Amino acid sequence: MSIPQTKENTMVQRAVIVLAIILLLGFGICICYLGYVQLGLGEEYRAKAEDNQLRDSEISAERGVIYDRNGKELAKSASAWKIVIYPNKLSESNTAREIVIKRLADILDMEEDEVRAKAELSQYGNMVVKYRVEKDVRDEILKLQDQVCETVKTETGDTVDRKFARYIGVENDVKRYYPYNSFASTVLGFTGTDDIGTGGLELLYNSVLTGTPGRKITAVSGQGDSMPAEYETVTDAIQGTSLVTTLDETIQRYLEEGLDQSLKDTKAEYAYGIIMDVHTGAILAMTSKPDYNLNTPYEITSKAVREEIDKLVDEKMQEEAETEAWFNQWKNRTISDTYEPGSVFKIITAAAALEENIWDLTKPYVCTGAIQVEDRTIHCAHLEGHGSQTFSRAFANSCNPFFIQLGLNMGADKFYKYFEAFGFTEKTGIDLPAEEVGNYHTAEAMKEVKVRLASSAFGQSFTITPIQMITAVSAIANGGKLLQPYIVSKMLDPDGNVISKTEPVVKRQVVSEDTAKIITSMMEEVVKTGTAQNAYVAGYRVAGKTGTSEILEEPGEYVGSFACFAPADDPEVAMLIAIKKPVGQIYASQTATPVAADVMQKVMVYLNVEPKYTDEESENAERNAENVVGSKVEDARQKLTKAGFNVKVIGAGETVVEQVPSSNQPISANGTVILYTEKNAEKQTTVVPDFTGMTVTQAYMTANNAGINVSIVGNALSNNFVAFKQDKEPNSQVYYGDTIVVYFKSTSADVD
Amino acid sequence: MEKKENSLKVLFFGHSDNKGLKQYKANGSLDTIFLILVMYLVVMGTIMMFSAGYVKAESETGDPFDFLKNQILFLAIGIPAMLLFSKIKPDFYKRYSVTIYTIAVILLIVVLFYHTDIQSAEGDDYTRWIPIGPITIQPSDAAKFALIVFLATLMDNNRKRLETDWKFILPLMAVVVFTAGLVLLEKHFSATFLLLAIGAFMIYLGGGKQWVFIVGIVIAAIGIIFLITNMEYLPEYVQSRLKGWLDRDYDPLGKRWQTNQSLYAIGSGGLFGLGLGNSKQKHLYLPEPHNDFIFSVICEELGFIRTVLFVIVPFALLVLRGFQIAMKLKNHYASLVVMGIMVQVGIQAFFNIGVVTGMLPNTGISLPFFSYGGTAYIILLCEMGVVLASSRGLKSGGK
Repeated sequence: MSIPQTKENTMVQRAVIVLAIILLLGFGICICYLGYVQLGLGEEYRAKAEDNQLRDSEISAERGVIYDRNGKELAKSASAWKIVIYPNKLSESNTAREIVIKRLADILDMEEDEVRAKAELSQYGNMVVKYRVEKDVRDEILKLQDQVCETVKTETGDTVDRKFARYIGVENDVKRYYPYNSFASTVLGFTGTDDIGTGGLELLYNSVLTGTPGRKITAVSGQGDSMPAEYETVTDAIQGTSLVTTLDETIQRYLEEGLDQSLKDTKAEYAYGIIMDVHTGAILAMTSKPDYNLNTPYEITSKAVREEIDKLVDEKMQEEAETEAWFNQWKNRTISDTYEPGSVFKIITAAAALEENIWDLTKPYVCTGAIQVEDRTIHCAHLEGHGSQTFSRAFANSCNPFFIQLGLNMGADKFYKYFEAFGFTEKTGIDLPAEEVGNYHTAEAMKEVKVRLASSAFGQSFTITPIQMITAVSAIANGGKLLQPYIVSKMLDPDGNVISKTEPVVKRQVVSEDTAKIITSMMEEVVKTGTAQNAYVAGYRVAGKTGTSEILEEPGEYVGSFACFAPADDPEVAMLIAIKKPVGQIYASQTATPVAADVMQKVMVYLNVEPKYTDEESENAERNAENVVGSKVEDARQKLTKAGFNVKVIGAGETVVEQVPSSNQPISANGTVILYTEKNAEKQTTVVPDFTGMTVTQAYMTANNAGINVSIVGNALSNNFVAFKQDKEPNSQVYYGDTIVVYFKSTSADVD
Repeated sequence: MEKKENSLKVLFFGHSDNKGLKQYKANGSLDTIFLILVMYLVVMGTIMMFSAGYVKAESETGDPFDFLKNQILFLAIGIPAMLLFSKIKPDFYKRYSVTIYTIAVILLIVVLFYHTDIQSAEGDDYTRWIPIGPITIQPSDAAKFALIVFLATLMDNNRKRLETDWKFILPLMAVVVFTAGLVLLEKHFSATFLLLAIGAFMIYLGGGKQWVFIVGIVIAAIGIIFLITNMEYLPEYVQSRLKGWLDRDYDPLGKRWQTNQSLYAIGSGGLFGLGLGNSKQKHLYLPEPHNDFIFSVICEELGFIRTVLFVIVPFALLVLRGFQIAMKLKNHYASLVVMGIMVQVGIQAFFNIGVVTGMLPNTGISLPFFSYGGTAYIILLCEMGVVLASSRGLKSGGK
């Protein structure tokens, strides 16, 4: 049936057409297009939406802590801040961008172009401009944010409240911080501006110490402030692995103080020292002076060097000199510097000779002051000759011809075998970067030219590193077992659980225990009666050997070193002190040995090694005076005098009100005790005498007369020793009864 | 000859009678399906408006419920108004169509000189709203309804002429172009297009010669293609808008910003959406998440499937039902008015969806029932009342 062409039908037809257009064309197309946009392009738009909405920022991970062996934090992470800009926000306002670039460059001490380059990356939501800034900088930046908003508001006449418009931000960051400043700086190393270790443990263990950064993804609204927290995704940063080192803060401090003092006393260019646990090879202390402050590594420590650099006119030369100075102060010379060990090396030659039965202990050797080797005459340091001497005596005398003879008798092969066995041809393998190996003669080379063997035998014509020397000496102290030195004993995860532990590594038995024992007693003799009497420490038996050698490349410059360990009967620690390029006194006995004695005594006390005094020593040993407070003056005087003290009474009272020093302060034998007999009597002062040049006996007498006490450092038994230093200035005022520390040393510059 | 003398009067007023206002009271039961569809869209629209707009409301006024409260207030006026209008026979508008149209024209002229001081992002004045006390009215909204009832009157009164004489289309077109032209002076393009579209559809429905429309469509198509390919003939601001429509990488922080943000929202929604209330783009990225861009938020939160099922399909059903009512009506005038209203709702929804999906150039147009808006919403509800009034006395159910 055809539709009749009535008016109604026309309208219905047309209505159907219109309806079809609206529904099919209109809504139909809408649905299809929506499907295309939402499903077809959905992923692309979703990604863009997230770019838009999410601010992805990195959460800095803390580096692992570096501890000393007692858990003291030597290097740790401290709070700092990073400065962030929001380039896409900045792109909306030229005014804001310009202010931000100018002011940021100013506050952060950066080039404007550098900031601009980041600020103009308008496709980015956020860019870090600078990491690890301090609190004061952060505060300034926060102020700047407000200023920028204000300026933008006034300049554009914008009515929109821009308090949420964020142009700059401050986020948490971490920064490496070294609580002890220059302490063990050449061992620890520092981290650069990028938080990456650039030297020492920080470099070697960089990947271990570095943590895993976290991420924070925050949803932000169109005006830049955070959306509700449910849109926030945080992946926490994981702290890096912490290191427990074998360093002992106290021992390290003793060593550093000693060497700092020694640098002043000897005017040497460098001083370095290592203290090692002879049973394990653990490094208890290690330093190389002059060093630097880990928190400000680019500051040149040496004033003289600084001044010299400042004097340079040429900017390029200045820069170069500065760089050189940096590397100089950052260098850990105990492992990176090579030197001629000189007579210290005789320990090795002697051990080798003993082990190989080259020279009978009782067989005398006559030193004429020189020895002929092939076409060369080599002189003894003691030009007039030592005469007839035993092995042990020759060792104590550090007689060069004797050791040349030992070397020649041994032959190049055997000598080289021990040279190698004691570890002088390879790196010790200590866990520190930039360890060096010196230049030495091979067995072939020594065979070819006998003089090479001869000079090597007494420690000349080759170079080694201090760490090799101390490791070899430790082997003697450790019954002939050569250990691998190490500095990191444990690694801890962020929760403090031990994840790895270093076990001591015995490399090999170099010489027999017997040989080691004999060498030890010879070394002890060196300290008692030989070239190292300045290393004498009352109560502790120190075994050691000095050595002074001319630096091959720098004739006229010397390095004096002293290797020792204590107590000789049951060695605990070994120590090597080297003083390089001193001015004036060049011999180790004057430069290195006194420091060693000072440090060794403190270390022994610190390690609770029971002192064992000889009779002679115990007579001189310091002791405590009985407490006489409250007794009648006469009784007190009698008691103290009987105990060997001098007594001085101040005041007219009848009973003792106070005694100085008090009963719990040790006083040297023959010391003075001051008894105050009147309450609230003002303490009386006296003038400190100048002890310089006095023998121990003279010093005691002078102190008695002055009504004060002295504490002797150095050999108190021999009157060959004279005072050279005291801890309180002459003519300064002290109270009666106070104790002055006086340092004694042998004045004879023992040639070794 | 008599007829010719009266032709002008008939043209505008038709054949007058004097039975008083009572004769305009509509009786009989209204179409429940249509009412249910309207109420569904009102409820759905209010929920989505709140979800989409609370962030913006909080940011602007400090009260996340601010928009919702106002919307409910508009509904409290609009729904009774709808019910009131559902009691008025469409003949009433025919009787007063000249008056209605005249008032609308006056308002369109007034708004050019007396309007709120709001500027667009580009700095152009928005001359669209007349402030009356605390509220503003948008004359273009009123003009849509006025044009519908006026055109319907003209066509109903001159039905024969329209069907026989193609030239009669010209005065009708003149009325449409005149109305749209007044709106164009406000630079209110979307409303201008909407008025032109409503006019064209109505004249077609009223029985205008088919070939005129075919010629018209061809000319319009050629014109649009010509202008798009030769944009230099268009004003600067129109050009940039068209560029922003055609080139997805054009001026992302300016002209293209709104569209991009809208697309990000729609794209984020995917097939199933982020869930009601979970839109992220409404967090101050979308310029008008509660108004012109509410559909983007709906897409983001509900996803493709639910948006089609719960929003687009109900719109289609509403239009379909409206047309069903219109087609059943014996009253030719009422039929034209109802279809005009449904065309208006349908095209407006189409335009809005087209704009936010980037299918059409960006222009401010709201989504009926969903967008936040005062007088426009009330007028829309009144129009629904007109459709309901027309449905009275018809048997409910399908065709």
